[in-house]
Amino acid sequence: MRARRALVLLADAFLILLLLAAPNRPRELARRIRLLSHDAARDPALRRLDGSSAAFDRRYFFFLESARRRVPPTATGVAVWMPSPSEAARNLAAYQFAPLPALLRPRELPSGWVLAVYGPERPEGWREIARVSDGALFTREP
Amino acid sequence: MTGLPAGLAAVAGVLLLAGAAGTVATGALFGRAGADPLERLAWGFAAGLALLAGYVPISLTLGARPGAIALFVLTALVIGMAVLFRLPALRIPAPAHERGSGASRLVRLLFLVPLSLGILLYLLRALTEPMWATDFLAIWGWKGKTIFGAGLLPAWTWRLPEFSFTHPEYPLGLPFLYAGISFVLERWDDHAMALLFPALQVATLLLVAGWLRRRGAPPPVPLAAAATLSGFEPLYAAFTTGMAEVPLSFCVLLVGTALVDALEEEAGGSRRLAMAAAGAAALKNEGIFVAAVAGVLAVAAGGRPGRVRWRAAAAALLPAVAVLAAHRVGRGSLPLRDFRFGLLLEPGFPSRLGLGLRTILAEVLIPAAPGLIAFGVLLLSGRRSTAGDRLLALTAIPLSAYALLPAFCVFGPDWLARTAFARTAAALAPLAAAGVALRLAPLLEEMRDTGYEIREEMRDTGYGIRDS
Repeated sequence: MRARRALVLLADAFLILLLLAAPNRPRELARRIRLLSHDAARDPALRRLDGSSAAFDRRYFFFLESARRRVPPTATGVAVWMPSPSEAARNLAAYQFAPLPALLRPRELPSGWVLAVYGPERPEGWREIARVSDGALFTREP
Repeated sequence: MTGLPAGLAAVAGVLLLAGAAGTVATGALFGRAGADPLERLAWGFAAGLALLAGYVPISLTLGARPGAIALFVLTALVIGMAVLFRLPALRIPAPAHERGSGASRLVRLLFLVPLSLGILLYLLRALTEPMWATDFLAIWGWKGKTIFGAGLLPAWTWRLPEFSFTHPEYPLGLPFLYAGISFVLERWDDHAMALLFPALQVATLLLVAGWLRRRGAPPPVPLAAAATLSGFEPLYAAFTTGMAEVPLSFCVLLVGTALVDALEEEAGGSRRLAMAAAGAAALKNEGIFVAAVAGVLAVAAGGRPGRVRWRAAAAALLPAVAVLAAHRVGRGSLPLRDFRFGLLLEPGFPSRLGLGLRTILAEVLIPAAPGLIAFGVLLLSGRRSTAGDRLLALTAIPLSAYALLPAFCVFGPDWLARTAFARTAAALAPLAAAGVALRLAPLLEEMRDTGYEIREEMRDTGYGIRDS
């Protein structure tokens, strides 16, 4: 009985080893190593651009990063306008502009906020303050 | 200094310094020589992270900008307190099987290979790109970046309803930790900071191995448990890097091991339990629940004097309540956004419960069936162990609660079951691994004692294994 139990445990340990090894696909690991060595010396923004959080629309990430660098220091928040909003776009915008509050297509724009438009659309009654990649920044007309 | 290697070196330096300071402070948790060295390192790292996270709200409350000076002052105070309240030096006897033979050294080496591989693979997964999970961007990382960038916790983060997607009701321990590291570094580096997660994995493995060793588990057991855990990809995944599950899994293991120690009146057990419960409660609502379960298990522990049980319960519950109260004072009362417990009284509740359980079965349990069966074989092969069974009870009760919770989710039971069950359950893996290892330890002792008999029996029954 003891021998049988020892063999069962040994087989079980082997199965566990196989199951633990299964998710580590060599192709994926090689890709990760390549990505790491490719990105290691780059700027943090470029590393995020290469990463998964920007994968749903890398131009959108480029727009956000470009807009973030041009937001006036007096701005108290950022409203992002885009043609097809999504949860991923909302999260990325909030994260990129933090510590400023950033929202996707809010119903109302609090005073002091700037509008970041992704795409060619140009809203009426707004003054363009900066061109950014794939979009522009606006404030309300005085 | 924009490259990853420089960022990693800086984060590693901060973590090492915090861990070293925390290890000095563990005199108040164990007494000199009162712990296995690996276990002491793990608790030291936990104490270091508590310092790194804790100095941020303390500085903000005092109206000071968090930074290296504030951290240094707090660390000096904590070390001073630890020296003042240090436990007497207790020397634990080294287990007899520490004096291992050549064969056992070979077995150890065999386990060190998968253990090292598990750590290296998680390091690779975690560092491949900046942290990217939805919950990092929308919740944990966003709050940490906001606290760091603003130099305070802005009230709009929990007052503006448009930001309800960031779960203002969640505990702030992890965002404070991110901000704490960044205040010391004086920059937000969300790629290099991912190093925190493999470091947490290593601390978890040290705790598993050290605690099992201190409890006298035979040599291959602590190493085997750590090696198995190190390769557990559902927890140590690229996706969970940045979220609260990996830190929580460490804290929950701290809670479990300290609970067992406290119930057995080990020196410093109650102090460790109090610290671990505070950490778990500061990380996630699930941590508050685990602390509460630990308190209930302490009260219900059989064969222990009432004084010991109630002291352990108080050590688990009071710090968790204190953490909750601190959040309540700072932010006011914030409802749980995803849940409505009034659903229990509605006629559709049974079908909601069924949908949640069916989704868990179809999307988590059936795909994971081979692993669960293998785990079940180990669990059932072991011997009864009071300490191991306590850890397993602390695993099973939250696991059952996680299975029922989707029925209360306002976004639908299937949604929560699909998106959260697997990863929240995975955070209980270290606790389960330690529990099963303790049940297997006596079995291995028996097998070793009767090793010759087993080999003889194998030969007689024709398994073809030769006695060497």
